[in-house]
Amino acid sequence: MSILIDKNTKVLVQGITGKEGQKAVAAMREYGTQVVAGVRPGKGGEVVEGIPVFDSVQEAMSAHPDISTTTIYVPPFAAKAAILEAIENNISIINTIVERIPIQDTAYCLASAKEKNIRLIGPSSLGYISPGEGRVGVVGGPLVLANQVFQPGSVGVISRSGGMTNELSWQIRKAGLGQSTAVHVGGDLLMGTTYADLLKLFEKDIQTKAVVIFGEHGGGYEFEVVEMIKNKEFTKPLAVYIGGKFANMFPEGMNIGHAGAIVEKGQSAEEKEVVLKSVGVLIADTYEDLVIKIKPFA
Amino acid sequence: MNLYEFEGKEIFSKFGIAIPKSILLRREDNVIKKYNQLGIKDVVLKAQVLSGKRGKNSGILFASNIEEVKLAVEKIFESNIRGQYVCGVLMEEKLNIAAEHYLSITYDTNKKQPVLIYSESGGMDIEEVDEDKIKKVWLDIRQENIDLDIPYANELWQCFLKTDARVMEINPLVKITDEKWIAADAKIAIDDDAFFRHQDWIFEPRTMLGRLPTDREIQVKKIDEGENYYRGTAGKYIEMDGDIAVLFSGGGASIANMDALFQVGLKPANYTEYSGNPPREKVTQLAKIVLSKPGLRGLWIAGGVANFTDIAATFSGIIDALDEVKPAYPIVIRRAGPNEIEGKRLMEECAKRNNLNLKIFGKEIAMGATATALVDMINKK
Repeated sequence: MSILIDKNTKVLVQGITGKEGQKAVAAMREYGTQVVAGVRPGKGGEVVEGIPVFDSVQEAMSAHPDISTTTIYVPPFAAKAAILEAIENNISIINTIVERIPIQDTAYCLASAKEKNIRLIGPSSLGYISPGEGRVGVVGGPLVLANQVFQPGSVGVISRSGGMTNELSWQIRKAGLGQSTAVHVGGDLLMGTTYADLLKLFEKDIQTKAVVIFGEHGGGYEFEVVEMIKNKEFTKPLAVYIGGKFANMFPEGMNIGHAGAIVEKGQSAEEKEVVLKSVGVLIADTYEDLVIKIKPFA
Repeated sequence: MNLYEFEGKEIFSKFGIAIPKSILLRREDNVIKKYNQLGIKDVVLKAQVLSGKRGKNSGILFASNIEEVKLAVEKIFESNIRGQYVCGVLMEEKLNIAAEHYLSITYDTNKKQPVLIYSESGGMDIEEVDEDKIKKVWLDIRQENIDLDIPYANELWQCFLKTDARVMEINPLVKITDEKWIAADAKIAIDDDAFFRHQDWIFEPRTMLGRLPTDREIQVKKIDEGENYYRGTAGKYIEMDGDIAVLFSGGGASIANMDALFQVGLKPANYTEYSGNPPREKVTQLAKIVLSKPGLRGLWIAGGVANFTDIAATFSGIIDALDEVKPAYPIVIRRAGPNEIEGKRLMEECAKRNNLNLKIFGKEIAMGATATALVDMINKK
């Protein structure tokens, strides 16, 4: 079992004719994911990497009604329209790799998605991978590298950082373990899918025995996790690393690292660690430590 | 980006929020002339800095004649308001205050939607106000107008939406004696990522640190400008007090590595990260600026196992800079990912031809451990 994706998932790529879109098609297909269609207004009828291109999401959906996931590879100023088009067409999971989307556009998309119970993963998310099942987006990199880093296993991985999704997964592999699903949630201020959302899925997933999170200072998403654990909605072992202790030396309102990593009162790395610890979460001092903490449970 | 009070108030007034009569003084301005121009006897003089707490740091002074005004302006320009640069002094009419309220709109990250916060206890930090005296109204971003019995609620909402703000705060929102409301202060943070729909966003240089940007910071910022601004970033550089130059890959790794650097007792000369797949030229420009800081004792180049960043390509950018600068201090590199073997070969050749004191590691060792390697090399000298 895995979360978010399995061998039957049918994927659409919006912005398929661009450089990044093409790279994503190749990455997904070489990992065995079924990319069935692409969209690029004005280029309907073309073929990219063997995949048919449509002018609109609606046309792609009529040709492939079983599409359940779409990935967005368009420039930031076109992202809102692309995401809303996917929402209108009721695609249940929308993975957005686009970085630097204005926060107002993200908020608009999230409000529309929520009404229809549609899941947004990202923005600024490289995607997610379930070893042996498939991947959405480019997380893990070229197949040779992805196979060095990922193997099916019992550890769920959640990261605010794309690079660290891979790095952390590698540390897990190096320790002789494997991953159930690794998700790059993206580093924006507003996260479409939060830690808590994913922990709910990992809780139900039999393959997942423990979860690791690479978090950052700023934002209040860790506090949701605390509530979940208190309410027994998440009961598996969880190890968390929160980066950015050094950021205390900067004034409030400054963001270092990702857009969401803002220095804020009451939401520093240290303060988050204290409350997480109080509900039994394992706190890692370094990201390498995450694997050491979680290994006995995996 | 945070705006100065005078910039924020200009925006407020465009959206129908009343602001005090005022005039901005720069360092070079003739104070007497400006005071006469404003033509109001009792004034308040406010330091223009990027973060609050100026009231407690003599950044707000009152005056009633030209001598007092001159003295106050001089004092404010000389003052150190928590290390922040005072870009100007805003001279405003002194208000007859009947009540001080608080009004703001920002994003609630948990609910992922905007929230309006209102309190009748204004004039102090909202964090210091009792919860039961604070009213919170969550707003649907798709609402064009809001209808609340709160002064300026809809004006601020229009302003928030159309300005692409992250934060808008009026504190205090002042009720003046003739029953009118006026924004006595303005705190606005705009969303830099929305710049493409705001051709009017031309602001004077500043840093989030509150000080003026350094020459290096200004140079780095330029690297990512232009129509392909979103294709791989190579433009993050914050100049710091330490002596270890750093070049980190990716926002997450950069944060973890900064923490690791402090943990081993080293101090960074800068905070820098590049991410995505920036072209070689962008990386070269960035690396050259990072290496240009005087007094460096070491260089740490570190990143995780990349997903799709071409290691040989980004290394080539760094190598171009190393070939030119030829640093004598120790260099430690930790990086893995696509094309890592070629990247390592190129880097080793560069070290050889320039006689660099350089160690390069791949994914066999974790990032943090290579900070220790740098400490060892520095101590061996």
